[in-house]
Amino acid sequence: MSTTAPDTVGLQVARRRGSVGWLELMRQGIADILSRRRLIRYLVGADLKRTHADTVIGQLWWILDPILQVVVYFLVFDLIFQRKTPDFLLFLMAAILPWKWFGTILNDSMGSVVSRQGLIRQIPFPKIVLPTSAVLAGTVSFAIGLTSIVVVYPLYLSRLTPWVLLVPVIAFVQLIFSLAVAMVLAAANAFYRDVSNVTQHILRLLFYLSPILYTIDDLPSSHLIRLLYGLNPFAVLMSAYRSVLWGTKTGPGTAPDFVGLGVLLIVSFVLLGFAIALFKRVEPALARIL
Amino acid sequence: MTFVPDVTGAVRGPLVPTDEEPAIEVENLGVRYDLRLTRRTTIKGSLSGMFREKPAASTHFWALRHLSFKVAHGESLAVLGPNGAGKSTLLLALAGILDPSEGLVDVHGSVSTLLTLGAGFEMELTGRDNIDLAAAFLGIDHRLMADLTPEIIAFADIGAFIDAPVKTYSTGMRARLGFAIATSVTPDILLLDEVLGTGDQIFRNKSQKRIHDLMDGAKAIILVTHDLNTVAEYCNRAILIEQGTLIHVGSPQETVDVYRHRAEERKLLADQAGGRFTGDE
Repeated sequence: MSTTAPDTVGLQVARRRGSVGWLELMRQGIADILSRRRLIRYLVGADLKRTHADTVIGQLWWILDPILQVVVYFLVFDLIFQRKTPDFLLFLMAAILPWKWFGTILNDSMGSVVSRQGLIRQIPFPKIVLPTSAVLAGTVSFAIGLTSIVVVYPLYLSRLTPWVLLVPVIAFVQLIFSLAVAMVLAAANAFYRDVSNVTQHILRLLFYLSPILYTIDDLPSSHLIRLLYGLNPFAVLMSAYRSVLWGTKTGPGTAPDFVGLGVLLIVSFVLLGFAIALFKRVEPALARIL
Repeated sequence: MTFVPDVTGAVRGPLVPTDEEPAIEVENLGVRYDLRLTRRTTIKGSLSGMFREKPAASTHFWALRHLSFKVAHGESLAVLGPNGAGKSTLLLALAGILDPSEGLVDVHGSVSTLLTLGAGFEMELTGRDNIDLAAAFLGIDHRLMADLTPEIIAFADIGAFIDAPVKTYSTGMRARLGFAIATSVTPDILLLDEVLGTGDQIFRNKSQKRIHDLMDGAKAIILVTHDLNTVAEYCNRAILIEQGTLIHVGSPQETVDVYRHRAEERKLLADQAGGRFTGDE
């Protein structure tokens, strides 16, 4: 009761900002994230506690969830459609787990802003921490879910190569890309709740348009299709995961497409810069519209 | 020497303003809401709004406009006005939650609104973790908060529940914890929406006392209230807002009189116009 509030509580001068440049907005956004690391950490912790709370087997769902999800596709395609892809379970896991991560991130970050409207109208704080922590919480649960691959690997030891060690590198590229998309959607969804609905359908379309249940080699080899898949970031990512975790139809784990990943990483960083600036640009309006 | 050359001239109250720079400066403040975007808009709604022919003015609503005043250090300012006058919007703008659409708000020092009573609680986290989370949201340094935590727990008086998830708390317990957190740090500038009391009678007395302590400790106070009796008791100056614009600045008694007078006038007009709707209060 006796202590005086530290300076950080107060807003010093809230002069009406004129037109602040995009670079300045980006810098502010990054500064917000860095200066509120502790808040982000608490929010990630809270998010993780919320998932699977009140379930009987609790933590076990972290690993069981992804396995069961993959098993459904496995049963449908292996037993019913008789797909003859070698080591199909591993083949599916390598792509479905990262895909699920992306979907979770988008949905959670869109929810992160609108679900905290009460707080946004009561406390001045950088709203950018909300989608950021949603993305990081999704990343932690993805990392835990990856252990389900470790569980099935003993069945496919002949496919295991040191290339597996590149999974974190590929995941990092995906993280930067996802963070950019999540930030844009979280901001847009605060203005128009339709964004969330539209996103579900785009996600489903993208799921089938990306080499998740199949490989690019399964497609007819027309230039147009190659070009379209070259432009789909998830064609690059999923192929890369599959290369290092599963390999090819005939051989074990192999090198991913480094050029594709490199280009995607650069593009993702540029997108992320714009996404942060965009979020900062609309941030002042959030308390007004929510 | 006072530093309060506002529209009606300086008003001396029981607290003597110091000659530092003012704690709060509001200059030509305007806060505008875009009606097309408020409240769960869908793209369809705003597209149809975009294509319909209508005067542009109808899409905007000025909750506050052309508002200027200053609050010196040591002052306590009451904000009066009928419902929907823009009083709460003014508090949000002063707290930095709403950015001004025009004009400027200059606030020197840390601000607390006490609006934070339990708003940010995460149900799965323990009371103790929620104290840390609230502090992080408020931007209070975690070391300072670690020092304050025992006092918060003692004040909230929730015993061993502090280490249980907040979802197991009763409504009263949540309110007490929220109040204890929100009032744990004495701000330079205290923004109050009514002098509020929370919980049962015992806790209400305790919380009233704490708010009075905060008011004693703060360098400046803004109090939004409907209770005209509290105005003279707590404040040395009062402003009256109607429809987002400043109507009167003066001593509490003076402003209350103007407020009463205008309310009666409005009531009279309403009675003459059919008497079915009496307006505010």
